[in-house]
Amino acid sequence: MPLLERTDSLSAARGIIAKSKATETEVVIDSSLDRYVRYADCGPTQCADRERTEVRIRVRNKSPHGYQEAAAACGSLEPAAWKAALERAQELALVSPPNPALIPLGGAVLVPISLRDRATIDHTFEAKARWIKLALDACGKHALFPAGLAQTTAISRVVSNSCGREVHGYQTRAAFSLTATGKSGEGWAEGVARTVGALKAEAIVQRAVDKAVRAQDPEPIDPGEYAVVLEPAAVASLVLFMAYEGFGAREVDEQSSFLCGRIGEPVFPAALSIHDDFKHPAWVSLPFDGEGSPRTPVVLVENGVPRRVVTDRNYAAKQGGETTGHALPQPSAHGPMPQNLVVLPGASSVDELVAGVERGLLVTQLHYVNLIDPRELVLTGMTRNGTFRIENGVVGRAVRNLRFTDSLVRALGTLTGASKEQAVCGALFDGECVVPALRLSGLRFTSTAEF
Amino acid sequence: MIEFAKLAVSEALRNGAQYADARLVRLVRQDLVLRNGALDGADAPEEFGCGVRVLVDGCWGFQAGPLWADKGSAEQNARALGRRAPGVAKALASARTKKVELAPEPPHTGSWSTPVERDPFAVPLAEKLELLRACDAALQGRSETVVREASFSARAEEQWYACSDGAEQHQKLVRVGAGLTSTAAANGTVERRSYPASFGGNYKSGGYEHVLAWDLAAQGPRVRDEAVELCSAPLCPSGPRDLILMGSQLALQIHESVGHPSELDRVFGHELDLAGSSFATADKLGSFRYGSEIVNLEADSTLAGGLDTRGWDDDGVASGKWRIVDAGVLKGYLTSREWAARIGEPRSRGASRAEGFANFPIVRITNLSLLPGTWELDALVADTQDGVLCDTVKMWSIDQRRLNFQFTTEIGWEIKNGVKGRMLRRPTYQGRTPEFWASCDAICNAAHFDVWGVPNCGKGNPMQVAEMSHGAAPARFRGVTFL
Repeated sequence: MPLLERTDSLSAARGIIAKSKATETEVVIDSSLDRYVRYADCGPTQCADRERTEVRIRVRNKSPHGYQEAAAACGSLEPAAWKAALERAQELALVSPPNPALIPLGGAVLVPISLRDRATIDHTFEAKARWIKLALDACGKHALFPAGLAQTTAISRVVSNSCGREVHGYQTRAAFSLTATGKSGEGWAEGVARTVGALKAEAIVQRAVDKAVRAQDPEPIDPGEYAVVLEPAAVASLVLFMAYEGFGAREVDEQSSFLCGRIGEPVFPAALSIHDDFKHPAWVSLPFDGEGSPRTPVVLVENGVPRRVVTDRNYAAKQGGETTGHALPQPSAHGPMPQNLVVLPGASSVDELVAGVERGLLVTQLHYVNLIDPRELVLTGMTRNGTFRIENGVVGRAVRNLRFTDSLVRALGTLTGASKEQAVCGALFDGECVVPALRLSGLRFTSTAEF
Repeated sequence: MIEFAKLAVSEALRNGAQYADARLVRLVRQDLVLRNGALDGADAPEEFGCGVRVLVDGCWGFQAGPLWADKGSAEQNARALGRRAPGVAKALASARTKKVELAPEPPHTGSWSTPVERDPFAVPLAEKLELLRACDAALQGRSETVVREASFSARAEEQWYACSDGAEQHQKLVRVGAGLTSTAAANGTVERRSYPASFGGNYKSGGYEHVLAWDLAAQGPRVRDEAVELCSAPLCPSGPRDLILMGSQLALQIHESVGHPSELDRVFGHELDLAGSSFATADKLGSFRYGSEIVNLEADSTLAGGLDTRGWDDDGVASGKWRIVDAGVLKGYLTSREWAARIGEPRSRGASRAEGFANFPIVRITNLSLLPGTWELDALVADTQDGVLCDTVKMWSIDQRRLNFQFTTEIGWEIKNGVKGRMLRRPTYQGRTPEFWASCDAICNAAHFDVWGVPNCGKGNPMQVAEMSHGAAPARFRGVTFL
């Protein structure tokens, strides 16, 4: 089954809406193609060539006390499947308590048409095997153990409702990663792009191997506060928690956001600016959100000053404005959330950032970062895949891994520079963002590992 | 349905596979969430599809797609998936340097279902919503409360499995979960309490009888008040102290510091690209001191109420029970058919599972429990001079070899000279796995033992979600470092 075409998606959604007896109906159809291969020392270890269809149907019945809302989903566009889902949603809605806070579904909007990248959709397993052989050969030359992922994905999404809204978009993603492990240290590199043509497999392999070679024989290190240069992957693991836990209207409304009482205040150094921008050239994303509302670029932090949070239609109505277009597909356990976080670049190269550190650490990546306190964004996590001393502005020996426990609000308050290069990076728990390397004058490490 | 699985397998064999298995999986869920009195989520998703896994000259291939209920379409799709799967393996063969070999397994045939007293899907929606409304009412009454949440979840996973070895299996797994949470904001902080566990409550395999047994609404006022009191409670002091962990937190400790490190694919580096590896390397099997002599950790995919209690795993291997840690010594691993042979085991332990139809089976934690000891909880508290009793998961983080961990619980209580005293906010303890388990000197008895569900364990890349449970009774750990 090929990726669902725009016209077929819209037609299918219209057909479902036409059969609904609810006051209002919304249909979201995701059609996806995904090809991935995981690999290790023996070559491919897991793989999948998979296609999926998800049809989400949200219905609402108007009552004197508000909308009664419910949703259901199925994995097929076969009429029997979506009709059963529609019935389940309608049955649930009938007994749902009315919610006076819900506003009517949004009407017609215009969003730009997005194009498919045919090369990414058609990228073959043979081509992925060639990437993997590059990694295996390079690791073999240095007695390193390889492990990684090669993946290409494409989705076609339509959001359509009975109030006249119809938006559709295509999106592709390609990723290739290598973790190269030696006797006493690891190196890692990953490339993530919207199109497979933007991935440079050889460069990714070379970066991971170089890092692994340098990461061997790490020396012990004491916990404590260190100046750090965080490479983009490490930055992503931290700032994505700002998106998960603080940049949404619901977190501020429920007083759990680090932005409570801080909007408009100079919280961070002027070198820090954070936007949400679905049009960023390195990570162009669907131009509409989970409710089908057009996304708008949002300045979240401007020269160190938090400016605003993102909204969906309900929070926008509550605050008396227009939605910023940051709803997740509804219903969702989460409120509105930035999904295209961009930390603006600085003017320095990573080498120049390092040159400005007298005594500190260069951190490649952070592992299993998690949240202790949302109000101060206290996080903990472990360094990973290459942590190095910086002495007198020069990267030196590898050190053993360290666990940090610190308030991100406090730590970003010590920002002294950002690199001019940015990268698309993700984190263990989900999401991807565009970030530079950052230099902080103090990050607190509370314990160490023996490796 | 088994006929479609068999069709896919025979089509794969016809197209060059030397081994093939096919899983038809139907996943059905019903989720209800009441948030601040309003229905925040009423969702009834369902998916149905087929995943075909093959070996061609020792290289894996996997093809998955949705199936349609219509017989003709289902037959056509199952055949197509079986026909295409070997092509994936052949395309990847050039990068394969070592052939996959599977441990032998007799071809089991049969049917297995979760024992259910009351089908959670058949319970009238009005009754379930009434239960959530009662929870919400019980959480009301304090101005400091900013979020009240009550949730119910039912999941049914029906699977038809056929394998070229001759296995034909059908199983239906039913799981339920429910819980309530209150979040309070005061004194510049925000704190949460949950019951019976955080992140949606507790989950068990079985029916609505579990939901009723948790008696959720009765706990509402306590949960609400503790969240409010936490906002003005002192922060847990730092330094070494004895730690008593209650069951749900101990379940997380088992999961992160014993479950994941004993996954054999991780031990051999095949998860290095995302989740990491394991300190519990194969050379330690049979001799490594993982914990004190009273520490016995048993894997059991037949455990009553366990979320991973089933007839067979996704390799078609029969469920069973074995020790991971016996009298404090590392004695076993979690294995699949692919991995069992690597440590000389004659058969897989049956810990291979995939999320839904569209994922490749990987080694997963099954139900894994700390076997009960002999203590009464009151006696354990009375026996503790300087300690903290910690309850309910709030935050967890563990390093890539599963050694250095740091966990925060929702709540703690100071214990001084055998008396449980003042409430402590945000207790955060840190340790190293073998030393931590070696410091375990007391485990409560079977009367305090319960089974705690993990409905959302992430592993793999792309990530797959699986369910399992951990049985535990409260236990004490000496001289643990609090931050």
